[in-house]
Amino acid sequence: MDQLLQHILNALVLGGTYALLGIGLTLIFGIMNVVNFTHGALYTFGGYAMYLAAVALGLNFFVALPVAVVAGLLLGAFIEFTLLRPLRRSDIDTTMLVMIGAGIIMQSGTLWIFGGVAKAVPTPFPAQPLVIGPVSLSYVNLFVLGSAIALIAITYFTINGTRLGRAMRATFQDHDTAALMGVNVSLIYTATFAIGSALAAAAGALLGPVYVVTPQMGELAAVKAFAIVILGGLGSISGATIGGFILAFAEELGAGYISSGYRDAMGFLIIIAVLLVKPTGLFARAERIG
Amino acid sequence: MMISRRTTLAALAFSLLAGTALAADTIKIGVNEPLTGAFAASGTYVVNGARIAADEINANGGVLGKKIELVIEDNKSNPTEAASVAEKLITSDKVPVLMGSWGSSLTLATMPKLEEYQVPMLVETSSSGKITTSGNPFIFRISPPSSVEADAFEPIAKKLGLKKVDFLVINNDWGRGAAADFSKMLKANGVEVGLTETMDQSAQDMSAQLSKLKASDADTIMVTSAVDQLTLLFKQMAALGLKKRVITTGGSQNPDQIIAQAGPAADNTMHLTTFLPWWPEKTPNPEATAYFLGEWKKRGFDFAGATESFRGYDGIRTVAAAIAAGGGTDSASIQKGFWKVDMVGLNGPIKFAKSGPAGKESGQSKPNVYLIEITDGKVKQVQLGG
Amino acid sequence: MTRFIAPLFLVVFALVPLGLKDPYLLNALIITGILTICAMSLNLLLGFTGQLSLGHVAFFGIGAYVSALTALGFDVSLPFGLRITHEGGAPLVGFVLAVALTGLCGYLIGRLSFRVRGAYFVIVTISFAEVVRLVALNWVELTQGPLALTAIPNMVLPVPGLGDVALRSKMQNYYLVLAVAAVSYLVIARLVASRFGRAMRGLKENESLALSLGINATRTLTVAATLSAAMAGAAGSLYAHYIRIIDPDVFLFSYTVTMVIMVVSGGKGTLAGPLVGGILFGLLPVALRPVMAPEAQWIVYGAILIAILFLMPRGIVPALESLALRLRPAPEAKSAAKPAEAGANP
Repeated sequence: MDQLLQHILNALVLGGTYALLGIGLTLIFGIMNVVNFTHGALYTFGGYAMYLAAVALGLNFFVALPVAVVAGLLLGAFIEFTLLRPLRRSDIDTTMLVMIGAGIIMQSGTLWIFGGVAKAVPTPFPAQPLVIGPVSLSYVNLFVLGSAIALIAITYFTINGTRLGRAMRATFQDHDTAALMGVNVSLIYTATFAIGSALAAAAGALLGPVYVVTPQMGELAAVKAFAIVILGGLGSISGATIGGFILAFAEELGAGYISSGYRDAMGFLIIIAVLLVKPTGLFARAERIG
Repeated sequence: MMISRRTTLAALAFSLLAGTALAADTIKIGVNEPLTGAFAASGTYVVNGARIAADEINANGGVLGKKIELVIEDNKSNPTEAASVAEKLITSDKVPVLMGSWGSSLTLATMPKLEEYQVPMLVETSSSGKITTSGNPFIFRISPPSSVEADAFEPIAKKLGLKKVDFLVINNDWGRGAAADFSKMLKANGVEVGLTETMDQSAQDMSAQLSKLKASDADTIMVTSAVDQLTLLFKQMAALGLKKRVITTGGSQNPDQIIAQAGPAADNTMHLTTFLPWWPEKTPNPEATAYFLGEWKKRGFDFAGATESFRGYDGIRTVAAAIAAGGGTDSASIQKGFWKVDMVGLNGPIKFAKSGPAGKESGQSKPNVYLIEITDGKVKQVQLGG
Repeated sequence: MTRFIAPLFLVVFALVPLGLKDPYLLNALIITGILTICAMSLNLLLGFTGQLSLGHVAFFGIGAYVSALTALGFDVSLPFGLRITHEGGAPLVGFVLAVALTGLCGYLIGRLSFRVRGAYFVIVTISFAEVVRLVALNWVELTQGPLALTAIPNMVLPVPGLGDVALRSKMQNYYLVLAVAAVSYLVIARLVASRFGRAMRGLKENESLALSLGINATRTLTVAATLSAAMAGAAGSLYAHYIRIIDPDVFLFSYTVTMVIMVVSGGKGTLAGPLVGGILFGLLPVALRPVMAPEAQWIVYGAILIAILFLMPRGIVPALESLALRLRPAPEAKSAAKPAEAGANP
């Protein structure tokens, strides 16, 4: 019983970070129809931006965090402007491949600049965990969970409650009509990619200090993000959030009670099962590539 | 189209041939290591260690009156590439001997090439038992396979009074091999073996496995993984309030990096290691250790990397010793030379014993194994006197 | 003009080993050839039916394991006291089994996921590849897991008059890969030119129209998926008997990425595209290796990929085709177009 409680608590913490990983990707896919293979590299970028700001520049942890997020926002805008805007009329495979190329460059560039040895980012939180009865939880994880929920809420509000969000949703529905109605679609695309990138960088900046920062950290994160987006249905923020928690619970309980070797298979087995029963994913309408 | 294709191929062939044997007065040693991809950090450390050894040997006049030259190639942490790199080093660069390839799957992938071209290779890091038991007479290994490590741990296990042990290992040949060999040894000594949990080699969150281990009734957890994952494990153990005896194996721990990155979470953990850079005077070859560490520092490398890179240093020195002992610069002489090597490396005597099927034995050297403990952010050797 | 690319390739590459004796370059060509077969098979799905398989490496890996295990033998116990013991057999049997079993996997995946298609096909294939990789990693009794299958024998072919010949040399393996590639190419070319191929393209261009003309979408796509998977399985078998050691790393996602790069950069939906893309991106790392630092090689690789797609968003072969079309009606304009052609060549 105690073990189960601890597993549930772990899954809640992990689910928050997974949701954060998923929403940036789902936003870009839903609105821009771009399979963003730089997502993992942007996550890594967030981790290194945090490392540079907090360790190399010596900024306060809570100042360094927004610095890293803004850096991710700017890098995302730059990538969209230079690589995606010229290919607006190309099909999804072409943009996907360009993103693969950009991802390879970013990851190798990180390795070249920083080397392969992991970097640690110190946190201001106490090392002793918070113990509640039979379960325990570190303060830094609590902070990450809180921040993730806050960021998801901000994104949700931005999409559903602001003028920018309305324009984004209109573009998602039908970008030609949106353009006719006076929406600056180019600007919406840049904003969408920048926000999605900022969310990936935020995830890296939050998790870099919890884990360690390495040039490879984005690879596994990207695979998880894809699984989460699929579980939640493409283009749905609430779907990605719930998908993140489902994946976390499946992994945590699967590793705890079935087999740790198959931990990473749990998410994918659920995906296959879900698609057999409900082919459009859990929460969204069917999408078509190509 | 036709013309451009032909010129491209010609240019390709030329650029490759241009790099080959310009000077016959050096002895080439091929180095096949992961410099990009998942194992980039470790491969780079090993190469840096190898460079120190090569410079030292050349400063002292080289081998058989010739300087040695390292031909370093990146195998991209990918077995297919590792095999291709071995092929390139042997056939294009004409190296008579190789060192490599860090990971076991990388080393296993190069082994058919060694047989094909009859070129010996010194294995500096890989731990899979299969490497020295599959009947490849071109393999000479200085790193301990997990069975050797488990044997060395046997007296230590008795002194520590272990009762029941759980395993948490990285899900590859290294972790699986360690869990199997240590379990066998412990069971033979009457120690109970409980759970064996695995983690993906790129996993960052291990809380599910740790929660399960926390609930188990074992007194000790034996962990096999590389330094980055160990750092995460110790932090996550602290977060879960998991307070059991932890012993790590495998020799890729870099305790200083763990201390720097995991902080107090690393306290009271024990580590089986093959090299003691903290106390050069206590190592089997204090002089060489002091030289290596001095040079490592002079070149501006991180001290924490010394426990990984010393294998590259010892590896190249062993290859040089084999060339000298064999008396020739061709592969066959060097292969014979390996069997005559008798030197003291940074972690004990290097001398190859036969391993594997008769007639096609590989060479296996048996390094020392030490137990260290981290206490208050300091490394201390666990004395198991008498 | 692109019609002649494939026969030209066949002739050129059949002659290559006569002049090229460097085993390292032959090795690079063999690996490139194996990956190019995978790219051709992926193109059958991605290019001709518009379905992207991002788990194509699963078929490659299953082919490699089936073939290796058939040759090496195994002994596994299954639930309910069942036990399967296999002594080990001829590599050629392994090759046939690899093709058959991967074809079956392709059929099942096709049946399962073509009900929904599009993005969900991508998803099912990724998930399938990941699950298969984890099975290969964790079912140690059968696959030896991360301990790897070693000492896989070379491919053995019965040759009339010579009996069984083990293909040990580079040259023999080279021609084997070339032969399998040529057969795969012919199968795809015949298929695409048939009524069946028109059905595939009809579904890709305008599904509702195709359906109203009585084309059975699921059947058409399932056949394409089956053939595609079987070819990737054949490539996996060739790989296993050439490299002679396999471990769960044959399921690395980066192999799938390489296949997609080869298909899309060369030109999806064209017969010659995967050949051009395959050879270009198969040999590019070999050309870059002696020139620059390891990290820089990857950066240049990514930059060349992006540059090709910026200049030729539909891929190299379609760009050449439209160039040729533009040149044909006005031969006097040839000199003016020359710089463009030089720029378009790889």
